[in-house]
Amino acid sequence: MKRYALFLGCTVPVRAQHYELATRNVAKILGIEFVDLKDGSCCGFPVKALDTETSLMLAARNVGLASKLGLDIVTLCNSCTAMLSDAQHKLKDNEFHRKFSELGFSYPVEIKVRHLVRVLYEDIGIEKLKGMIKKPLKNLRILAHYGCHYLRPSYLHAFDDVENPHTLDELVGITGVMVINYSEKKLCCGGSVLGIDEELAIKMANQKLSVAKTHNTDAIISICPFCTVMYEDNQRKVEMKFNTSYNIPVLYYPQLLGLGLGLSPDECGLKFNRIKVDNILSKL
Amino acid sequence: MIDLRDADINFKWEIIKQEGGEGLLKCFGCSDCAASCPVRYLDERYNPRKIIRLTLLGLKKEVLSSPFLWLCAHCHACTERCPQGIKVAEVINAIKNYAVKQGYCPEGLKVQLNLLNNAGRLYELEDFDLKKRQRMGLPEINKKIPDVSKIISSSKIMERIQK
Repeated sequence: MKRYALFLGCTVPVRAQHYELATRNVAKILGIEFVDLKDGSCCGFPVKALDTETSLMLAARNVGLASKLGLDIVTLCNSCTAMLSDAQHKLKDNEFHRKFSELGFSYPVEIKVRHLVRVLYEDIGIEKLKGMIKKPLKNLRILAHYGCHYLRPSYLHAFDDVENPHTLDELVGITGVMVINYSEKKLCCGGSVLGIDEELAIKMANQKLSVAKTHNTDAIISICPFCTVMYEDNQRKVEMKFNTSYNIPVLYYPQLLGLGLGLSPDECGLKFNRIKVDNILSKL
Repeated sequence: MIDLRDADINFKWEIIKQEGGEGLLKCFGCSDCAASCPVRYLDERYNPRKIIRLTLLGLKKEVLSSPFLWLCAHCHACTERCPQGIKVAEVINAIKNYAVKQGYCPEGLKVQLNLLNNAGRLYELEDFDLKKRQRMGLPEINKKIPDVSKIISSSKIMERIQK
């Protein structure tokens, strides 16, 4: 049994409970035990533009909560991953650590911060996961979307290839689907500018949605709740703005993996997806 | 037309003192950042190289009052490509931090800060959410995280944005 501290952040526990549900159900099958951080707060990323040190302090507090349990952190959101990793490095800075301690926080043991998908890739491994697939998901054309902060900046993550990533494609591939090979993997969803300039954010989201349509995609795989906000929740807005029709479901990776591991659609939380997934289920 | 008589030669020294601003002086203006930028590709009002160049020239007001500064998505595509190893997205973010200190701050960011200060997360867990979590068999999490407002008040950032 592998144990990790599960960090939920802001969006997952309120707006993406189906992602959390699928993650927990998949973890049970894989022998992963999550210890919940009931006092986990926002990771700090939303205030980074206002004041970087404050954002790092918010992140460091969350890192400290897991450190007190002696457990590595598993994150479900790309930006939480980058923000908490940054704080984990920053805690080595004496001046920062002093302020952190003065606020009453502690970081007793060094821990790692990694995204769930990276943990699946590194700690479980492709071969083992492949061997656990009960029901290969044939007939589906799937496009894997990495998002920005799963890999970038590479000086924080040092994982995969930032210019031509492959880890998520491999993890999607083991479920038996056809993985779409495309050149625009690195595109940003636009989520970070949604609150500043909605029109620009919608244009950014449109880029990948139009690529997905060109490739006759059955579903986009997301690993970040903010990317899903852009591609799924805002898909109608994108369609209206560009006078087109997409209707492309967006699944979180554990939802797809869960189906492959033999979980039911309900156990994968698929009835909560905002763009209905009936077309996918009927192809299986 | 740029008029260097308005330039503030201390501006760049202020920026390199900000968290993340350290690499600014290494820029030799190759424009790899702008060529790699997904925002620049769609909207030419935003150009990281131009912002850095204007900062180095000391055109403080032009940089800080520009609404385009805030269009950076912080995606770090630029950072990965910079031949000088500058953490470009961090430099742009340092300029944003400094702009806030000088009284320039988009309303959306103020709203986010207030939400965090109030509940500790961007989306407060309403009773509806707690019940939905319960129905789905998801564990309880605490509704309010008071440590967050403790961190925010120690940073004096609230006073800064109300200026």
